[in-house]
Amino acid sequence: MIEIDARGLRCPQPIIELGKKISTMNKGDEVTLLSDDPATEPDLSAWSRMTGNKFEKKSESVFLVTKLSER
Amino acid sequence: MVRVTGNFQSESPIHLKAFEVLQAAFENGWADPAKLSQSGARARQLKNNALESIGSALSIEVDSIVPVSPASLGYFVGIQGLNRGSSSLIHGATDRKDVFAIASKTAHQLLKSDLTGKLHSEKTQSKGSVLALQIANAETGVIQDCQAIINDVKPDHIFLDATTSGIRVPLIDQFSTALFDSKSWYGPSGLAFLVLKKPSEWSNPLPHLNAAHPNFDVSLPLLLAAAVALENFSAEVASANTQAREFNEQLRNAFSQLADIDIAGQLDSSLPHLLSVSFLNCNGEELLREIQNDGYSVDSGSACTADNLEPSHVLAAMGVLTHGNIRITIHPGTTQEEIDGLISSVSKNVQRQRR
Repeated sequence: MIEIDARGLRCPQPIIELGKKISTMNKGDEVTLLSDDPATEPDLSAWSRMTGNKFEKKSESVFLVTKLSER
Repeated sequence: MVRVTGNFQSESPIHLKAFEVLQAAFENGWADPAKLSQSGARARQLKNNALESIGSALSIEVDSIVPVSPASLGYFVGIQGLNRGSSSLIHGATDRKDVFAIASKTAHQLLKSDLTGKLHSEKTQSKGSVLALQIANAETGVIQDCQAIINDVKPDHIFLDATTSGIRVPLIDQFSTALFDSKSWYGPSGLAFLVLKKPSEWSNPLPHLNAAHPNFDVSLPLLLAAAVALENFSAEVASANTQAREFNEQLRNAFSQLADIDIAGQLDSSLPHLLSVSFLNCNGEELLREIQNDGYSVDSGSACTADNLEPSHVLAAMGVLTHGNIRITIHPGTTQEEIDGLISSVSKNVQRQRR
């Protein structure tokens, strides 16, 4: 399982790190994003809508992201 | 220090005519209107004229207008004055923080927002309820369909927040109390107007001795300046709206050329002078500073620009991207040159940040 530890990073850094990583992944791949920034959850929901990927909140500060689109 | 050539922040200098009045008012309107002296009588006359003028511009009976200062106090007296203790406060997820603060002290229900900023009510038990309804949002400009929400919620009492919409959106008939902010018509800040449409539904929630005549003791010069600003803005509002809509459309079209942007709300159902846009993978604080360096000042709803490091609750409630956000306010004096300059500054800096 791929993991990005973005704890302690402020917005937009967690989403930028996620974007970089996901561009190297294949469709259907999953990545766990660890982030304690209060903007990450609302921004993941906007990011998913804008890029066509999806995410699920597993627990506080833990998000499972699945690559569904080309980007 | 960079000289700012274009002000696109929500604040702006007060109307020039109102500014002239302020100075004269501090000379003539200093006395207590409640006293019997000659100067008191003159102050009373000035106050009455100002209220008459405000009532006529807002198409509201002068007797139901109560000046209150500051606006945050207006939220409290306007909403809590309708709350009979056992009432539940129903309000929108995109409301001002002032409303959230009042709701935190009482039973409350939240109306959720969709992606366009429109509020939706789940069919709930709303007997004995107070509905606080924001006519237009201060950050995004999104205008609510107030009548539809009222029909769904069926509240006992309605408080309308007209602090941002001002005279740009007409009030619906069905409400108990409403709040206007002098800033919305380029009057002085720190002064609001509570409208008590149904005085029998309202009682002063602050400690008071005279229940019949609520009086919040506002500054008379500010009141006079607010009246003059309103009189002048009433004459300009139609052309200001038309001009702002044209500029807003230009901004939206230009920003849409940059990929991965998220604009909060649609122009057709928003106040034309407000625009909130987020750029994916950009840092709001840096963007604000870089645009400032080019001579343009804007606001931001991104977490990095807030004191508490929380993102804008309005954008979060809508599901709009909160990072890389800038908020643009188009003022009546905004020029085409400023819009062009802002567009090229934003485009340049977004592209640079994304490199």
